[in-house]
This record gives sequence, structure tokens and C-alpha cells, in this order.
Amino acid sequence: MHRNELPPPNRLPSRSTPRDSALYDSLILRTVSRLMMPLLLLLSIYMLLRGHNLPGGGFIGGLLAASAIILQIVAFGPKTARRILPVNYLLLAAFGVFFGAIWGLPAMVAGLPYMQAFWLPEPIPGVGKLGTPVLFDIGVYLTVIGVTTKIALLLVEEPILFPLPAMKPSPVETEDGA
Amino acid sequence: MLYPLVLIALAAAPFALVARFAGRDRIAWGLALIPLAIFGLTLAQAGPVWEGGQVVERIAWVPALGLNLSFTLDGLSLLFALIITGIGTLIVGYAGHYLANDSGLGRFLAYMMLFMGAMLGLVLAGNVLTMFVFWELTSVTSYLLIGYKHDYADARRGALHSLLVTAGGGLALLVGLLLLGQAAGSYELSDILAAGDVLRAHALYPAAVILILLGCFTKSAQIPFHFWLPGAMQAPTPASAFLHSATMVKAGVYLMARLSPALGGTALWDVTLAVVGGATMTFAAIVAMRQFDLKAMLAYTTISMLGALTMQIGLGGKYGAEGVATNILAHALYKSALFMLAGVIDHECGTRDLRRLGGLRAYMPQTMVVTALALLSFGGIPVMFGFVAKELMLEAALETDLGATLSLLAVAAIAVTAVAYLVTGWRLFSNTFLGQRSMAAMQQHITDPTPGMLIGPGVPAVLSLLIPLAFLGPISGLIGPASAAIYGKPLEVKLALWHGVNTALLVSLGAIAVGAGLARFGEQLANLRGWPAWSRGDMIFDRLIERTLAGATALTRTIQEGRLRRYILLTALAMLVFVGVPFVSFGLGEIRFSLDPQLQFYEILAAALIPIGVIATINARTRLGAIIAVSVVGAMVALLFVLFSAPDLSLTQLLIEVLSTVFLLLVFSVLPVRFENFSAAWVRRRDAIVASLVGIMMTGLVLATATNDAFAPLAPFFLENSLEKGKGANVVNVILVDFRGFDTLGEITVLFIALLGIYGLLRLRQGKDDVAPERVTTAEPAAEPVDTQR
Repeated sequence: MHRNELPPPNRLPSRSTPRDSALYDSLILRTVSRLMMPLLLLLSIYMLLRGHNLPGGGFIGGLLAASAIILQIVAFGPKTARRILPVNYLLLAAFGVFFGAIWGLPAMVAGLPYMQAFWLPEPIPGVGKLGTPVLFDIGVYLTVIGVTTKIALLLVEEPILFPLPAMKPSPVETEDGA
Repeated sequence: MLYPLVLIALAAAPFALVARFAGRDRIAWGLALIPLAIFGLTLAQAGPVWEGGQVVERIAWVPALGLNLSFTLDGLSLLFALIITGIGTLIVGYAGHYLANDSGLGRFLAYMMLFMGAMLGLVLAGNVLTMFVFWELTSVTSYLLIGYKHDYADARRGALHSLLVTAGGGLALLVGLLLLGQAAGSYELSDILAAGDVLRAHALYPAAVILILLGCFTKSAQIPFHFWLPGAMQAPTPASAFLHSATMVKAGVYLMARLSPALGGTALWDVTLAVVGGATMTFAAIVAMRQFDLKAMLAYTTISMLGALTMQIGLGGKYGAEGVATNILAHALYKSALFMLAGVIDHECGTRDLRRLGGLRAYMPQTMVVTALALLSFGGIPVMFGFVAKELMLEAALETDLGATLSLLAVAAIAVTAVAYLVTGWRLFSNTFLGQRSMAAMQQHITDPTPGMLIGPGVPAVLSLLIPLAFLGPISGLIGPASAAIYGKPLEVKLALWHGVNTALLVSLGAIAVGAGLARFGEQLANLRGWPAWSRGDMIFDRLIERTLAGATALTRTIQEGRLRRYILLTALAMLVFVGVPFVSFGLGEIRFSLDPQLQFYEILAAALIPIGVIATINARTRLGAIIAVSVVGAMVALLFVLFSAPDLSLTQLLIEVLSTVFLLLVFSVLPVRFENFSAAWVRRRDAIVASLVGIMMTGLVLATATNDAFAPLAPFFLENSLEKGKGANVVNVILVDFRGFDTLGEITVLFIALLGIYGLLRLRQGKDDVAPERVTTAEPAAEPVDTQR
């Protein structure tokens, strides 16, 4: 009763899919985030790759990429965000750990301790020096993206927190009190 | 090459699973070729052992921990290995007949092979840590075998008891072995055995002995841990015959015998073993006499014999060592035969209750003859192998160094046990084969089993007669090196049936006479008012398990009662007690604090904004306000990182700050905009005090670690080696992915596990909502009958 009387806040027709709910419905946010997304992802990869010599690395790159995706979730809603980047983030996180772990194995094959580094003798153009630590860092990058994004999606898709399609449920207390 | 012996048995396990598809008894006998082959391979390598030497083999496994996969074949190992594989051959073949109609035969045989490999590893291990690994494997495989009929509650209970008791003892043993290794300076058995004098004088000696004996006593079912063995009789009979009479339960005896040259010779070791062993032997023999279940009867006589072996190790001396070796072999032969025969009777008659059996002599003559042979050896009747073994046991008691009192007590205990064995044996035989044909025998057509099934019990039973008559010479060659290993010095052994008229013979004959007299009254003895139920011990153990679980539940309810505030409070208090108190007691002096004179005003400003942000957070009226105030703190920390040249940390901090603000907004969006106060004033005051104390403690800790120079700083190493060895100029990242890459791997694993936790928390709770209605509907009809009964 209380809920129905309230006018829906900011619910302008959006470009997100029907029955999807942006967390904050704003044309400016949508436009900016659409433009920013590829840039942020590129930046995150740049951060990842330059990490060995300059500030950056897998953690920072992963967090950057995750914030780019979370920006999509906030601006367009989880369904649209999933459609734009159709990735299973749980699997991505698991794969990241696996991918990070396997690059410790080549050393063992050679009879050295696990995770002893191997490097290619010559740098690869555009990537830089390539070695097992860099590949391991990619595993870190993927894990961080997967974990962070998946937690955000889990929270946003939690029906108690965000019952579709309404954006903000009236607080439980007022219902009890009425 | 000793390790292939173990490897073959372990590798055979998967192949055993084919028994599901092929002709069952034939495939079992085919599989029996595997233990037979190991038997042959062991003999083929035993050359040096006959001359009193040993075969040693060492493979580095984890050299840093002193953990070698080393194997040793000496007299004692050889005796055990031959028993394991020899009896194993017969039992695997026998199992094919016994479980011919059981769909799980393949699984059963696979467990048996695994067990055999573990047991071989245990007796061949030349390193106590290697041995411990196999020791635990035998506990696990035994658990699987006892619980084989897992749809029976009794089988599950028996399996659980045996696992809890033996694995619990295993924990004590592990600590004991570690102490032993510390004291001896090596985990290699050969080093430990050579360090006997050092060990006995070492401060750790009493603790090590007590812990090791705990492990041995639980494994070998000595009082008061004996109760798990009768419960283990829930295992299919072939497993009982193999594990719980011939092999596994003797692991404890094996270890005690193995270590006695190094640890024995002190009152602690000798008297404990003699007394506990003697008590177990006598008590279990008397209890066995009064059983009505064939297998329970055999189980108690097994406990009794394990006690006898333990006692002989304690009694020590030349005869003690000889007696242990001889009795192990004699017991393995007649007891495995008896167990397999109990299985035959159970299989043919459908019961093994003595009150329902009887008069089988007309229907199962072959079985009767074999049983008679095995029982004669069990009763220690002259010319049987059991008699030879018993004479040595009496000699050990008469010749012991432990004093006249213990010697006399031991002789008396052996005499009482011998009498009880005779009564038990007679009761078993007469109630099964003699007398009236029972109801059970009336109801079905009963015959001797197929010859194949009698091979299993037949071979060891016949050997019990043939060895003393014809093969005492070659067997002495096997017993000799084994006794020498127990004695710790070379030993000349010549087993003989006839030692002339001596005290041992007289005691033995006296016991036989009394036993023969009492045997007539066997049933009256069995029906005397029983021991109180608690004497079995398993009820007490059940109660103990219940209490432990209830205690754990109560503790969990107190600590984890479900409110986040409580968790935080308890965690903070625990930190104050376990970190704060030691820090205040020992660490305060480590703080060397002085203000840097070059501190800039903007650095002070950034630092000052942090407490201001904290205070603003605490005092915020709305949730949004609190989030913003918290992010001020984060932003200032990031700024400080920039000022103190840590760009990587600063970047990470900023990104984390952004993301946690988003997460907080997501979660808080369903909560009321404003904070409400529900806590009482004193609760808030308490929380404030605890929080402040934790804050002060952490500040102190950080100051102490940052200003402490007790350890050489690591930074120069990383700075010097980052570019050269890590091939990167960004030292922070090189540390993360290379120098300390293993830590990072651990961190991302933790991150992923945290995600799984959150996933479970949110998704499972959603699932629960769907299931809940169903639960209600199923619960209702069940509730009704209870009400009507009331």
C-alpha cells in the first residue's frame, strides 16, 4: 500500500532490456559507461602487462577490469551486463587459480622447485618480456576479475536485496509497523 | 628391490574390481596369485636374512624432513611379510567362495589388496615416518572392510569404533615417533635401533614410550582399548580372518617387538608391557570362554593372544623373543583357519550361534576334521605347533629378569589362559559338531562346502600339525632371524617338540588336565551370571562419543550464535587475549618511536584526516554518510601511500576503496536510510572499549614491527635482485609474482574460496526457500501417529 503510492524514482525508459533494473537510472551514466567500458578494459590489460616494470600488475589490472564491468551493472542492470560480456565469472575465477598454478609446473619438469621462473630470451613486441611470472600474473588478473564481478552479480541478483523489477523495496520495518 | 612388493599389492586393487564381471570363485583364485607372487618374490630376496643380515633400500622422498621411503627386510619383516602374503593368498581365494553371491565382491577384494599393500609397507618400512603412513593406511582400509556391509547399523558402528580408536591411537603414535626421532636424531629405523642407550637416557624417553605404547595398545586391542575388536567382527569373515586375527591387529605387536631392542630394558617399558599384556591375555581368555557367537569367541581369543604377545615382549630375554616370533606364526596359522571355518559354518548353516548349531559331524565331516586340527593347535595340545609356542611362552615367563613375583604371576596367568582356551575350544567343537542335530541343521540341506572353500582353512590347519612333526628345522631358520631382531642380538634358535621334563612342560600338562576336567562344565561356566555390561567397554565408548558431540554442539552454539556483532566481539576479545597480552608482557620495549623532523605539513594533514574520518563514521546519522566518511579514510590512506612513494599500494587501495563503496551501497540499499539505536548504553560502551583496545594494540604492534631491527631487513635483497633475477624493475610486482609467488597463489586461492563461501551463502539460502514448503508437507503426516499414541 505504502509502496504503490510512491512514484517510481528516476524510472525513465531506459535502453536496458525489459525486466532488467539499472541500479541508478541515468542517461549520462549510461552514455559514459558505454564509452568507458572498452577503454577501461584496455587500460586494465595495459596495467597488467606493464606491471613487471612500472606500477600495475595482476591485482590492480583485475580490479580495474572488475570496476569496468560493475559500472555496466550499475548503469544497465545485471542482465544487460551479462549480455554485453557473456562470461561465467565463477568459472573465470576458478580458471584463474588453475592458470596461475600450472605455470609453476614447468620448473618441476626441469627438476627445479615449483614456481621457479622461466623467461623467454627475447622480449615479444607489444607484450614485453614473457616468462612464467607474467603468465602467473595473468592467472591473478583473471581470478580477481572473476571473484569481484561475481560477488557484485550475486548481490545484485539477490532477490531479497533487489526484487525485480522494482528498484528499491520499501524497508521491511515499515511493513511490519503498518 | 623391496618397494615393488608393496606397489604390486596396491596396484592390484583396481584389477580386483573385475571380479564383478567374471566367474567369481575362479577370478578370486586368479587374484590370489598376486599375493602368492609377492610371497615368492619376498622369499627370493631373503637370501641375506637367513644369515642374520638384512636387505636395505632407500629412496629420498622429502629429504628436508628426514622422510625417506626406505625399506628394510630383516628377520622380523620377513616373518610378517610371509604371513601376510601366505595367509593373504588363501584368504583371497576363500573370499571368492564366501562372497560368491555378493555383488560387492570386486570392491571387497580391492579393499583387501589395498590393505595387503599397506600392511606390507608397514612391516617393510625402514623409516618410522614411512611406517606411520602405512600404519594409518591399514586403519583406513580396515574401516572400509568392517563397514563393508554399510547398510547395517552394527557394521557402521563397528567400523566407526575401530577407526576412532585406532586412528586416535595413531595420533598418539605419530607424536611418539616424532619424539623418538628427535631423541635419536634420525627417523631411520636402523639409526634408532643403534641409539638404544642414548634413547633410554634421553629426557624425552618416557613421553615417547607412553605415546608409542598408546598407539600400539589401541591397534593391538589391549585393555582398555580391547572393545573395538569384537565390534570389528561385523566385517565379512574373510576380512576378520585376515585383518583381525592374522595381520593388522598384530601391527601394534610388530612395532613393540621392532622397537624393544631400542626402548626395552627399562621398568617403564618391560613392566607396562608385561602387566597390560598379561591382564589382557587372561581377561579376554575368560570372556572368550563364555561367548555364544563363534566369531565373538574367536575375537576374544585373538585379543587374548595379542595380550600374550605383548606380555612376552615385556618379559623379554631370549625365550621372550623366541616366544613372540613363534607364537605370531602359530597363532596366524590356527586362528586364520578357525576364522575361515567359522565362515564356512556360517555360510552353510546360516548361523554362527552355538545355541543353534550342533550335530554337524554327520553332515560336514571334512570341516570337522580341519576344525579339530586347528583347535588342537589353539589349545596347545602336544605335537601341535601351538604347543611348541606355548612352551616357549612359559619359558619366557620362568626365565624373565623382571623378578620372582612377576614371573610367578605370568606363569599363573598363562596357566589360567591355557585352561580357558581348552574350555573355549571344547565348547566350540562340541556345540558345533557333536550332540543333537539342531533346529538350524534340520531346516536345510547341509553338506561340506566345495573343496575350494576348504583349501583356505585346510592349509594352515594342516601346517599346524606338519610344522612340528616335519619342518621344525626350516621353520627355526625363519624364527631365528626374527627372534634376533626382537632380541637385538644374534640368536641361535632350534625349535624342538621335546625339551625333556621341565617346569614348563609340567605347568602345561597340569593346565591341560584341569582344562579337560573343566571342559565338561563349559556350558555351566558360560551361563554363569555374566560380567556387567560396562566391562565390554563399547557402551562407554558410545557414551563418550555422544558426550563429545554434545559438548562440541554446545560450544558451537555459544561461540557461533549467528549474530555478526557477537562474532566481531569474540574475535576482537580473542585477539586482545592471545596477541595483546603477550605483546604487553614482552613486546612493549620493542617500540622505538621518534618523529621524523622532515615531516611535511601536507603529510600531517593527510594523516590527521584519517582519525577525523573515523570519528565521522562513528557519528554518522545516515548510512550514506557513514559510507562516505569511511571512504575518506581509505582515500587518505591511499594518499599517504603516494606521499611515501608506494604507487602500487596506492593504486590498489584506491580501486579497493571504489569497489567496497559500491558493495556497501548495494548491501545498504535495503536497510533503512538512518541508523537506529537498538543496543543498550552499556553494550555500546563495552564495544567502544573493546574496539579502542584493539586499535591501540594494533598501533603498538605496527610501531613495534616497523621500528624493530631484530631481524635483517629484507628490502635490500629484493631491491638488489629484482631486476637481475626477477627480470622486472617494479620490485613490488616482482615480489608478488616471483619471489613470493607461492604466497600470491595462496592468496588467489583464498579469494576464490571466499567467493565460493559467498556464493553458497546467497544461493543456498535462495534454494532453501524453494524446499521449505515440501519439508512442511512431509513432516506433517509423520507427526500425527506420535500424537495418537499419546
